[in-house]
Amino acid sequence: MWSSVSGAFRDYMGTGLIGICFLVSLVYLFLTEKRKHLRILFLYMPFCFLALFFNPLFSKLVYRMAEDEIYWRVLWLLPMTVTIAYTFVRLWGEIGQKRGERAARILGLCLAGIVAASGSFIYASPSFSRAENIYHMPDAVVEICDAINVPGREVMAVFPLELTQYVRQYSPVTCMPYGREMTRGEWAILHPLKDEMEKEVIEMEKLVPLVREYRCHYVIFRPGQKVEGNPEDYGWARFGEIQGYTVYRDPHEELVIPVMD
Amino acid sequence: MSAVVIQILILGLLLLVLPAVIGGLCARAYDGGGRLIFRWVSGQFLLWAGFQLMCVPMILRQQSLSRLALCFGAYGAILVFFAVALEIRHRKRGQVPAFFEPMKERTKKKVPESAVLWAVFAGGLLFQLVQAVRLAFDDADDAYFVAVASLAESSDQMYQLSPYGQGEMELDFRHALAPFSIWIAFLARVSGMRTVVVAQVALPVVLIAMAYGIYYLFSCSLFPEQGGQRALFMIFTELLVLFGNYSVYTSETFLIGRTRQGKATLGSIVVPFLLLLLLVLLRYLQKGEKVPISLYLLLGAAGMAGCLCSTLGALLSCMVIGLCGLCGAVCYKRLRLLFSLTACCVPCVGYALLYVFVK
Repeated sequence: MWSSVSGAFRDYMGTGLIGICFLVSLVYLFLTEKRKHLRILFLYMPFCFLALFFNPLFSKLVYRMAEDEIYWRVLWLLPMTVTIAYTFVRLWGEIGQKRGERAARILGLCLAGIVAASGSFIYASPSFSRAENIYHMPDAVVEICDAINVPGREVMAVFPLELTQYVRQYSPVTCMPYGREMTRGEWAILHPLKDEMEKEVIEMEKLVPLVREYRCHYVIFRPGQKVEGNPEDYGWARFGEIQGYTVYRDPHEELVIPVMD
Repeated sequence: MSAVVIQILILGLLLLVLPAVIGGLCARAYDGGGRLIFRWVSGQFLLWAGFQLMCVPMILRQQSLSRLALCFGAYGAILVFFAVALEIRHRKRGQVPAFFEPMKERTKKKVPESAVLWAVFAGGLLFQLVQAVRLAFDDADDAYFVAVASLAESSDQMYQLSPYGQGEMELDFRHALAPFSIWIAFLARVSGMRTVVVAQVALPVVLIAMAYGIYYLFSCSLFPEQGGQRALFMIFTELLVLFGNYSVYTSETFLIGRTRQGKATLGSIVVPFLLLLLLVLLRYLQKGEKVPISLYLLLGAAGMAGCLCSTLGALLSCMVIGLCGLCGAVCYKRLRLLFSLTACCVPCVGYALLYVFVK
């Protein structure tokens, strides 16, 4: 349990430099802050949170009630941003009074530099990318869903795994035999259709019965996907190529457009 | 084009104007409670609290989103009615708390440096808001949270359809007790804007601004005298957020990248707002003054908002309120404080027990 809790703390603090800034701020405030209400908020409460966080009884209780993988969220209660910013402004004011405005300006720049050097620029994260459209979804998902959807009913389509997490965010009427749960190791279950779709070379002979078993109207192959066998030989119709993805329609599964009143 | 403008106007009304009007109910929570930003934030928390109160029982009874929208609309209308009535009453008595800080309180000596600092902060904020629209953040959890909202909006059912693949699903209690996604569906339903756009574009812009609004209120409480200190505080806050990606778990990373997920709102808006309210509460204790009931009401609402965002929100809200209550009661020898703060935690404890019961 201890290793799990300390691991969560280490993971949360990253390089630990912002944690050090926080610690230094706490020491500074402990020595200089006289107002009791600020001492409670900036010193006593964070101390109590940390004591609770590392308390084995508390962690056991939270692990049992919630999931162990979200225990680090307790650390959100540490007012790190406010405490560091408050301390830095106090320091700036103190230096300004003692050494003059010029020294305070230099200190302000140094402190800003410390924050920038200690942290990591958020927009440098590889998770950020230029949005391809107003939906913040890949264009391929938007265009494929728009193309295959029919008014007034759901359609069933098999997508390559990398697109599954976006499909139902954009189009709730597009159903899939499997979705995002297959992308997470601990949730992924044996799914024969997914296994066949994710093979380096898809065998049509094996894929076609699985697609029909799951009653799919459409199958989407990723760009450059190698396929053994000709889909048209199995009655599939090439629906089109969208953003490099090839979309096939399997007429075996009827797609009746409901009559709208 | 005109439809888009109307959708944006409706969203603006729901996310900016209505909360700002309703926040008038809590304008007397403290001496800075009349500020427009405080009204906006506290009004939103009152709305979130009401949403949570109505939504969870309706999900458990498998009622429709339309019905929820109707009930929540009525709740909002009642709050607006009381807020306007209160405002009129206070205006008649000439006791209207100022929307903006009165000029007389401002430092007479103009400090050009503070104007420069505010401009730097405003530039940084604008940059982040533009990035929220321009950049997409790839997070697989959206496949659950945004898809649940999209499905609820399109099917009118709440937590009954599987967000991942197809068909119906068993009620997922862990998430259904914290139905932040349904609030997104509600916004999409009323505004007519596509759910995915509300979640991925509109909400990040509003919630990032709200997070900084809360930090601004912190700056006002920590530095009562105006001038460069507040602006500098905001710049440091901005820097700490912008460089807050020292791990993927920080509330700053969640605020900028995963704003549409309830847990992001919990870490970057609900917890800071709770801490702000507790700072105000402690200041009352410091001065030996009576704590207004509206402050306790807001604390309870913030706790409920925490439950709306995440099931863990119940625990975190109770922890922060409880520990502050304990420290305040010991340091100021005000044991009665514990009873009042316990009352604020009752709804959160109720949700936590419900979770344990149905888990």
